Amino acid sequence: MILLLRKAAAFIRRDFQVESGYKANFLIGILNSMVILVFFYFLNKLLSEGGAPDLGRYGGNYLSFVVIGLSFARYFQLTLTMFSDSIRQAQQTGCLEAMMSSQTDSLTIVLMSSLYGLISGAVQLLLILIAGAVIMKVNFSHMDVVATLLVFGFSTLSFVAFGVLSAAAILWLKRGDPFTWILGGMGTMLGGAYFPIQVLPNWLQKVSFLIPITYSLDALRLTMLKGYSVQMVARPLLTLGLMTAVLLPISLAIFAAMVRKGRKEGTLMQY
Amino acid sequence: MLGPNGAGKTTLLKLIGGLLLPTGGEIVVNGYDTLRHNNAARKSVGFVMNEERSFFWRLSGLQNLEFFAVLDNLSAADVRRRSEELIRLVGLEEHADMPVSTYSSGMKQRLALARGLISEPEVLILDEPTRTLDPVACEDLINLIIERLHKDSHKSLLIATHRLEEVTKLCDKVLVINNGHVQAFDRISDLLRQGVTLSDYYRRNVTANGE
Repeated sequence: MILLLRKAAAFIRRDFQVESGYKANFLIGILNSMVILVFFYFLNKLLSEGGAPDLGRYGGNYLSFVVIGLSFARYFQLTLTMFSDSIRQAQQTGCLEAMMSSQTDSLTIVLMSSLYGLISGAVQLLLILIAGAVIMKVNFSHMDVVATLLVFGFSTLSFVAFGVLSAAAILWLKRGDPFTWILGGMGTMLGGAYFPIQVLPNWLQKVSFLIPITYSLDALRLTMLKGYSVQMVARPLLTLGLMTAVLLPISLAIFAAMVRKGRKEGTLMQY
Repeated sequence: MLGPNGAGKTTLLKLIGGLLLPTGGEIVVNGYDTLRHNNAARKSVGFVMNEERSFFWRLSGLQNLEFFAVLDNLSAADVRRRSEELIRLVGLEEHADMPVSTYSSGMKQRLALARGLISEPEVLILDEPTRTLDPVACEDLINLIIERLHKDSHKSLLIATHRLEEVTKLCDKVLVINNGHVQAFDRISDLLRQGVTLSDYYRRNVTANGE
């Protein structure tokens, strides 16, 4: 029995040592747990302390609000992690090196490897929205389709920029990519996926305006639930476009630099 | 290319194949500098890895080749033709449509050889191609390399191996590497003329450097 316990302790110690070796991942794991607690705190505040008036901007119905928030936040999170996931998967299956030895450059390989995931994610998103409309009776009858598609496209592009940054971080840190945490876990809460950002303290609201999902979800709710036109959501569209225009070239350059670093140090296949 | 484990054989092959970038010096393949003319240099080289897992196991052998043929910029018309041609070349036509997960180690290594030949490279790099193979599969692969690549297509082959009999059968020149440095580089015919066995030659050049 004592031998078994010692073995169990040895396994726990070994895994703790492995995980604490990936310092960023270890830290982000702890912080993520805390974010979930904070999320429930704000949700409770909205529902029990008369926070519902904050939904007025989107028609006042929480279900409509959260269906859009949940489905799109899920898709944007997928966009964010798809690139780094595809790299990790290719590293683990041993296919990354084989692909890299081809005449296709590494950036193309990573971007292309993520396409299927993005498309299947978009199909899932559509299914959730259809289920929301059919089963939960969410009213999309006022939707401005062109404006919605534009906001969706601009949002996806801005998340692609962060996704490429995330892939670069994975090549560098191997585990514990901070972009996924900031824009994925934190972004879901701060961007208003499950509750309006108005219930957040002022200083957190200011932080939320620094991340693209805040603009995306706000504009999507307005175009899908209240039929806002392209002109009416021009401001968030412009913000998303600006974020993409600045971030995408930077993230591509950083990714290329990380690949180059990996090829010089021989760490490209390490995970 | 001979050398003990950790000597730097695979690193050197990856440098030549463009998978790694040199921190100094220059590498010229088929007349192209790998840094300045990376694309042309890469096109000249086919890399045959010893990593069995480097295929998509749920895809068939043919589907894998077609995928890598697309990555090697083959035209739509050539992708299928070249893949089928290579499947026949390495003797996998009966298994072409079966998932790679059902392949034996020898079959995977043949498929890796086929993949290395997709873009019809001038230089073929083989990193311990027989490492995981049983004696029969090993002999079959060696014969395949001799008959179909060396004699028929006159490609330049650069092979890293631990098996001295492969060097005798396949190579014109032998290079011994240890601790990242070249210890010896000679024509096998010269060694034979001097009455030096490959085993003695290898041992002498490796042990002289602290192994």
